[in-house]
Amino acid sequence: MDRRAFVLVALLVLACVLGLVAYNYLLTQKTVLRVSTTTSLYATGLLERLADEFRKTHPDVVIQFIPVGSGEALRKASMGDADLVLVHAPNLEQKYINDGLLIEGGIFAYNYFVIVGPPSDPANIKGLDNATEAFRKIFEAGEKGEALFVSRGDNSGTHNRELFIWRKTGLNPRGEWYIESGSGMAQTLQIANEKEAYTLSDIGTYLKLKKTGVINNLEILVSGDPDLINIYSVYIVNPKKINGIKYDLAKEFREFLLGTEGQKIIGEYGVEDYGANLFYPVDPSKLNELKSIWRYFASS
Amino acid sequence: MIDINALIEITARSLAISGLATLFASLWSIPIAILLSIGQRRWARLLIAIFNSLVGVPTVIIGLLLYLLLSRSGPLGILSLLYTPYAIVVGQALLITPLMISFGVEVIGVRAKNLIEMSLTFGASTTQLLLTIIEEASTRIMAVSILGFQRAVGELGVALMLGGNIRGFTRVFTTAIALEIQKGEFELAIYLGIILILVDFIVIMILRILGWRK
Repeated sequence: MDRRAFVLVALLVLACVLGLVAYNYLLTQKTVLRVSTTTSLYATGLLERLADEFRKTHPDVVIQFIPVGSGEALRKASMGDADLVLVHAPNLEQKYINDGLLIEGGIFAYNYFVIVGPPSDPANIKGLDNATEAFRKIFEAGEKGEALFVSRGDNSGTHNRELFIWRKTGLNPRGEWYIESGSGMAQTLQIANEKEAYTLSDIGTYLKLKKTGVINNLEILVSGDPDLINIYSVYIVNPKKINGIKYDLAKEFREFLLGTEGQKIIGEYGVEDYGANLFYPVDPSKLNELKSIWRYFASS
Repeated sequence: MIDINALIEITARSLAISGLATLFASLWSIPIAILLSIGQRRWARLLIAIFNSLVGVPTVIIGLLLYLLLSRSGPLGILSLLYTPYAIVVGQALLITPLMISFGVEVIGVRAKNLIEMSLTFGASTTQLLLTIIEEASTRIMAVSILGFQRAVGELGVALMLGGNIRGFTRVFTTAIALEIQKGEFELAIYLGIILILVDFIVIMILRILGWRK
């Protein structure tokens, strides 16, 4: 390699480094709020929409979302690596609340899980309004080798709800018909679609994928059971337990989420694109009911 | 469809982060590789075997270990490195070190041994020797660096665990692809994958052409 080439490469590398440093320096001039959140919530695009709106009144704030599973989001927040956490796994949340790591919990949105499966419906669950009953029928059909079920198997909020319903059936799903995908909702739906299997999905991811046409072999078979209500909560990491938490800013964003502005965006988000609500805002008259449902799942 | 600005930004960031990681890793990996290949003693062979076996360490494990170190409640938490591009640079540099050393021993080693025999007859010092080898084996060193860069730019675990896939801050090619798949936007993920390969190809062609122009 001749000298000129070497200088050229060195200059390029230097330019890259300087660019990176300068860009990050500009970012550090702003206040950063770190929010760990579940992938399913982030992937709908709602959070960036909310952050954009929040920044209109807080131009010096940058909100950084770290999209991971609910289990991981809570763990990371409790280690002090986020200021705020947005999750939907009441039974996991309860543990961190008990330890005093998460404070000022608030329900900011909800929607529904749905049981989806092939239109042929080998377990004959279509139209049932009871998720436990539907799971029992899937279990029976599965044991007979007539149906398949795909589980997330990743300790996510959705996976926790699925296990909750299995516990209610008193059955222990094992065997070749019970497939643990160990991956996100979109991949799990895709697997269910390929294998003509049943699965439990949040409505948002299902609608998004249905619209793109990649899960044509699946349709919603069971919905509307109160056991399928999916509750999203916001928590601030306790600044008394963890150093360096930006409590005041976290509180402002929390207030924005729960306030009229945030709630309006949540209620309208995606309705135009999907013809249905991806999320429902929390009507004050329903708050107590949602809280008691949350406690019910949290104690399970 | 694809947000062009975001795409350019992600491309630039991926190249800067992985390029920097490769640069750092080269700084220590290549001298170590040369020293190890010169070393005839048993410990040198033992070290080579250790580096060889570390090549296959899953990227998420490196990511997890460094996460625990860099976390605010970890021993290096005061550095506030976690969820910054620098954390990814550190992680990727460590990730590709065993690969670069192992490959370096294989490809630079042979050339180095010949040079040593030659240089020793002229009575050169170790530093002079090292510099001679680096100059003479520059094309091979480049090949080692390119391999390291490839592994760095294509890995997911470290970037996800240490960067957090934050939009406009730590989102790189692989984490963006993983997110698009999560969203169910498979087509977009494939486009991003194709662009990643193209960018890789262009970078390597430029380096190769520069390297060949002796």
